[in-house]
Amino acid sequence: MIDNQPSSLDFTGYTPTWCAGCGNWGIGKAVELALKKQQLSPDGVIMLFDIGCSGNMNDFINAYAMHTLHGRALATAVGVKIANHKLPVLVTGGDGALYGEGGNHFLHACRGNHDLTVIVHDNSVYGLTTGQVSPTASKGKKSKSTPSGIIERPVNPLLLALTQGATFVAQGFTAQLPQLAELITAGMQHKGLAIINVLQPCVTFNKENTYAYYIKNTYKLPEDHDKSNFAQALEQAQSVFAERFPLGILYETTRPTYQEELPQLENHSLVKRGQIKNVVELLQQFE
Amino acid sequence: MAAQQTGFLWKVGAPAGQGVMTTGLLFSKLCAQSGGQVFDYAEYPSLIQGGHNTYEVFCDATPVSNRQWQVDYLVCLDAITLEEHKHRLGENSIVLLDPAARDVPKDTEYTIIPLPIKELLAELKANSIMANMIALGASWALVGGRRELLIDLIADQFGRKGEEITATNQNCATRGYDAVIAQSPKKTAFPWKKSVEAPLVMGGNDAFSLGAAAADCRFYASYPMTPSSSVLATLAAWQKTTNMVVRHAEDEVGVISEALGASFAGVRSAVGTSGGGFALMTESLSYSGIAEIPIVVFVSQRPGPATGLPTWTEQADLLFACYAGHGEFPKIVLAPGDVNEMLELSKQAFDLADIYQTPVIVLSDKFLSESRMHLDRAAAEQVMSTKPNYGRTIHSPSELPYLRYKATKDGISERLIPGAAGTYYQANSYEHLENSHTTEDPEERTKQVEKRLQKQQTYLENHWQMPSIDGSFDEAKYVFVTWGSSKLVVEQARRLMTEPSAHIHFTHVYPMDREKISTLFAADRHYVLVENNATGQLGTLLRSEAGVDIKHTIHKYDGRAFYSEEIVAALEHYDR
Repeated sequence: MIDNQPSSLDFTGYTPTWCAGCGNWGIGKAVELALKKQQLSPDGVIMLFDIGCSGNMNDFINAYAMHTLHGRALATAVGVKIANHKLPVLVTGGDGALYGEGGNHFLHACRGNHDLTVIVHDNSVYGLTTGQVSPTASKGKKSKSTPSGIIERPVNPLLLALTQGATFVAQGFTAQLPQLAELITAGMQHKGLAIINVLQPCVTFNKENTYAYYIKNTYKLPEDHDKSNFAQALEQAQSVFAERFPLGILYETTRPTYQEELPQLENHSLVKRGQIKNVVELLQQFE
Repeated sequence: MAAQQTGFLWKVGAPAGQGVMTTGLLFSKLCAQSGGQVFDYAEYPSLIQGGHNTYEVFCDATPVSNRQWQVDYLVCLDAITLEEHKHRLGENSIVLLDPAARDVPKDTEYTIIPLPIKELLAELKANSIMANMIALGASWALVGGRRELLIDLIADQFGRKGEEITATNQNCATRGYDAVIAQSPKKTAFPWKKSVEAPLVMGGNDAFSLGAAAADCRFYASYPMTPSSSVLATLAAWQKTTNMVVRHAEDEVGVISEALGASFAGVRSAVGTSGGGFALMTESLSYSGIAEIPIVVFVSQRPGPATGLPTWTEQADLLFACYAGHGEFPKIVLAPGDVNEMLELSKQAFDLADIYQTPVIVLSDKFLSESRMHLDRAAAEQVMSTKPNYGRTIHSPSELPYLRYKATKDGISERLIPGAAGTYYQANSYEHLENSHTTEDPEERTKQVEKRLQKQQTYLENHWQMPSIDGSFDEAKYVFVTWGSSKLVVEQARRLMTEPSAHIHFTHVYPMDREKISTLFAADRHYVLVENNATGQLGTLLRSEAGVDIKHTIHKYDGRAFYSEEIVAALEHYDR
């Protein structure tokens, strides 16, 4: 399926500018591990980076990429995948981008089951703009933009993805690198929209959701968790309301992808097919 | 003002939902197939049921490019049509109305021919929607059209729906036809003849759709917004033939983001919208500018601000289009004035977007998008069969390392389609180095700004087109200056005028070559701008981009398109 050529290109780009201890380091490494494990190379994958500390990965991982506008990485990826569905397409962005600025795109990408892998760096703050609350910040969280504490309750990314139709929903933790790399690999192997919410501390601007906080409040999905069972997935996703964060694949199901439902893409990718002939015949419709 | 000798304007009015668009379209087709030159325009409020819809067809033996003010035949399918439009009736006008549906006015200047629609419907046991067909037949009889053509056209139009439906429609139409013939009205002098070749009649949105298909556009995304929505419907309906992917996305921001993604991945992409949706797209337009991703944006204007008058017309987004997007980057704005220009420039827009790797905006408006007019078949076939020019689009790197944003003399760098082996790059929304990595270095920044802006200069030298000029400046009493759909209005006005005039029509409105434009303007000539807006936006653009100041502008901003008679009348004002 994958249009990949063997090459000597390396995924490792510039040395990241992330803060020492930032959760992005782990996510960046996990992405690279997952790509290597699937024997992909930078010329055989398209990555979309949103704006924010997470999006700055554009210069740290080498690949065909778009460093899009804030909130638009997912919508842009929808177009990329339709134009060339033979290449794997990854989306990387923060919780502000995916659940806030680009929230509408998120809902509709889930409905459409576009064949994309979406990695959400969830740290509950806006790091690059120096620490305002993000959509996943806990109620009452004080920040520069919410000095008296945020009034809204947090978005529940897992429930949101599940209820809107994502066919693969998982949660990882940046400090559990091997599992995270496996989740990303599984998400990329999945046919359809894969949402991987990754819990990551912002060591500079979030003093509450620290490594210690996540180590204490995350848990492995129970052995008997049936990822094909939607009701069980919903139940696990709700534990987030009690500040308990499940790790692993909550849900995976099979539904035709958006690309599979387009007859135009049946034989060739849109970019590879030839130009249509006899276009002049369309004039007959106006006789 | 010279009187129209043979031409006539036919108009039908009915409540929304009564199928008046079909009546109008079929009447227009009958005229065109019988050798008439037609120009149609439909008006409707932003309602699905209950509003007053109208369709008018101006038909003449020689080319026409606007409707005329005087209504010669008014077909009333409701009680209010006559009241709404009687101010446009003259002493030779004929009104068709059903005496059972309303009072018949007495002692009128115009002639009333009673058409017993209700009675006929009852007799034929036909659904009330069939009033349309009775009206169509009656209208066709009124203008002296051939009965057989009416029957054939209905068979052609409804054949797919089965024999029974076709027969019912034919019966209703012929009964309407006969009902008028029985009253032996005054014969119309129109020189009907059989067309040698079926004429092509369409609106601006149709021409854009044809241009996109011919240009090898493979991805079209849109969110419905009047008056651009019919492009979405047309291209979507053609998908099986064209293999284009046509997507109705969640919102306009998603629409243009998807199109930029598809374009980056290597397929020609376009989006379509009106002013409000375009406003939402402008941030992404700026991304297209810095990341040098080709994109064609079709904007069909309607009166704003905000929701404005959704189903009416205006030319008030020219400056918005020219200056849309934050930051400084090259952009090309094209403003076709009729369907021939729309087809040609739409196709050209995709070439220019690829050649200059930057956004190209094609401006229309409701009047151009939805008016139906003749398309020159030979020219259209020529345009559609010309191979696209993909510019410096490459499928494998010509040298390594591959530099996506290499600073070249003409500002254009090779654009590699992602997936090519042995390299990679990013379409970066941040300022970047030649190799596409992010930078904040002042020298690199300056280099890239200059690289991008150089493309504008290269465009002016290689692809920009001077406005078209019709008529002689030396003989002209007035020199009209137009952009977009005002071309139609002025062309028709010049047919009505007895004084000599000339016409400068801008299509490649932005950017423009200051020096070349200034040669068209001399102090001793009387220039008149015609703009369907309140502030004279081409006038503003000419002042800022070409240093040209036009004193007189004819404006209209009530949501309605100009009648060419209004232009002629406005000139009389200058003579006083």
